[in-house]
Amino acid sequence: MEDKLIEVNFGPQHPSTHGVLRIKVRLDGEYIVDAYPVIGYLHRNAEKLAEMGYYPKAMIYVDRLDYVASLNGELGYVLSAEKLMDIQVPERAQWIRMMLVELNRVASHLIWFGTHGLDMGMLTPFFYCFRERERILRIFDEVTGSRLLYNYFAIGGVYSDVTPKAIEMIREFTGNFVTKLEEIEGIFKKNYIYVKRTTGVGKLSLEDALSYGVTGPMLRASGKSWDLRKNQPYLFYKDINFDVPTRPEGDVYARFLVRLEEMKQSIKIVEQILTKLPEGDFYNKKYAKPMLIRLKANGESYVPTESPKGEFGIYLVGDGSTMPYRFRIRSPSFANLSATPVMLKGYKIADLTATVSSMDPVFGEVDR
Amino acid sequence: MDLFYFILSILYGILKFLHINFIPFNWGGYPVGEWIAWAIVGLVEVIIVFALSMLLVVILVYVFRKYMADLQNRIGPNRVGPWGSLQLIADVFKLIQKQDLIPSRADRIAFKLAPYIVFTPVALGFVLIPFGNISILNLMVLNFPYTVLFLIAFMIISPLGEIIGGLSSHNKFSLYGALRSAAQDIGYEVPMMISVISVIILAGSYSANSIVYAQRNIPFIIPEVLGFFVFFFAMIAKQSIPPFDLPESGSELVSGYSTEYSGMRYGIFYMANFGFMALTSFVVATLYLGGWEGPFPFIPGLFWLLIKAAIFMVIFLLSWIALGRVRIDQFLNLGWKYLLPLSIINLLISAGLALTVGGWF
Repeated sequence: MEDKLIEVNFGPQHPSTHGVLRIKVRLDGEYIVDAYPVIGYLHRNAEKLAEMGYYPKAMIYVDRLDYVASLNGELGYVLSAEKLMDIQVPERAQWIRMMLVELNRVASHLIWFGTHGLDMGMLTPFFYCFRERERILRIFDEVTGSRLLYNYFAIGGVYSDVTPKAIEMIREFTGNFVTKLEEIEGIFKKNYIYVKRTTGVGKLSLEDALSYGVTGPMLRASGKSWDLRKNQPYLFYKDINFDVPTRPEGDVYARFLVRLEEMKQSIKIVEQILTKLPEGDFYNKKYAKPMLIRLKANGESYVPTESPKGEFGIYLVGDGSTMPYRFRIRSPSFANLSATPVMLKGYKIADLTATVSSMDPVFGEVDR
Repeated sequence: MDLFYFILSILYGILKFLHINFIPFNWGGYPVGEWIAWAIVGLVEVIIVFALSMLLVVILVYVFRKYMADLQNRIGPNRVGPWGSLQLIADVFKLIQKQDLIPSRADRIAFKLAPYIVFTPVALGFVLIPFGNISILNLMVLNFPYTVLFLIAFMIISPLGEIIGGLSSHNKFSLYGALRSAAQDIGYEVPMMISVISVIILAGSYSANSIVYAQRNIPFIIPEVLGFFVFFFAMIAKQSIPPFDLPESGSELVSGYSTEYSGMRYGIFYMANFGFMALTSFVVATLYLGGWEGPFPFIPGLFWLLIKAAIFMVIFLLSWIALGRVRIDQFLNLGWKYLLPLSIINLLISAGLALTVGGWF
């Protein structure tokens, strides 16, 4: 039996590995006997680099972790650093952060949506998703000045205020995004081929999900209603009314539905924030130029946040100097990816791409 | 009168006008001169049909790119030539310039042969399609009583090329592409043959021209709805376009059987793909929609055939653009559990029709 198996390396050069994932699979015909993810092809030593600079300088490294949702990475670091240094943040800055993070979650899910279609052999939805994402990037361009890696959140606030023009752009976006999203989702939901290919594929039971540390939409698709915005609220999420979508099935289709619903909930959150956005400072006046200040810190802190992929947080240890003693990244994609062997065993080659893309791994974050 | 004899008589006329007299030339009792004349005429006709079919492929690729771009919020080719219409020509030149790469451990002969095997049916198939008639002249290159059988025989050559190319590449993805190609072929070819046989039974002839003539009152799509659907699905699988592009499977097996191919060899696979789309559209239009038969006698039959084929080309393009890929087991289920029984039911229906009301056709 053993010698009949074929060992195939999916990746690191392969059209549907979302970067540089390599999966060593042993195949019996079309069936996957064994799958083993190999990572490390995008390692950039981000943790050590962040430990070698002043506290504000680490921002560019957290930007480049999950590069399709940079602001979520920045938020994780900023909250942790502010907790460590006990810095108060003005209310307006916190609401701005919430709003932009939710928009970035939508952008990230849109990328996942499009590439998931590509992995299933559908070319067209990809372009529709990027059309919508482009509108979000225009908003970010107006607010932060850049389109992909923002470096916008600062310890003590945000770098610039949100202009009335940007508010208008966000209003326009939230006004018609859901109808456009439903248009795109029809391509998947009403497609018999897609539904047939994804139901019952890549199943992850709740026990497995919990034991592998899987978080985010994948955990919620396995049946646990666990969202850090709800369960351990940070910023002002407790003042906002939103649902946590969950599905009991734990397959690819369930993850698809959960992410779809999450996008709609994010839009709902942004709409509420627009009505509640207070006036005031957008950064703590005590740190007039946040980038230049040499902050010192002592102690340790960790603030878990809900990034589009799952629980994201940065564990900081300060030794009283201007540089962090330890900068540990808890990245959701890494933990989610470790469940790959369980999800692939016994399925077919075609299910491999469906399952891997349903995990939504981003390799900046996995390899750091 | 067939196109073959029409051109042959023109050739005879030209030769007579030039006072060249090799037609009655005999060698050892055999009419060698006549054979040479036939060979020349055959070659000329094949070249004409081949050139026309390649022109069709160029147009089809352009329409595909523009149409796809239009549905995907893009502009599509717009640089080379007017409205980007010469993009394919530029692409072909680019592909010709590329280095001719063959994997070091590949089976070189089989690797080089495979693209041509895939391409053969595209070059040969158009020879057997009846394109209409002008008064007594049949616009058909080869007209003999077994045209449809030969058409189907040509069309099942190409999977062989895919299998050979995949197996000879010395690549695991290519190997999987070849195996999937083999599985897929067996899955759709049996129902395809059976539905063609029911067309033949209903028309009472193996000749494509007679099949078209049999549909002068009722196109076969009406008595043979089931057979039409079976044949239509089989034709999508035949071209290996989504949803049945399993031998290539862009995102799973890197590019399936053609993973190791580059340069013009890949270009030939690409052209064969679109050539097949054109050919299968003509075949479906001929077998089920009445071919060149149309309602108004003053409009030439070629026009009707092109309209009918264009409808299918657009449907195939839409299927390519809009749909995802099925899994191999789902496709084999479809082939063996649904298409095969349906085609057999259709065979019984058409046999019954042929026995009872066969005179209608």
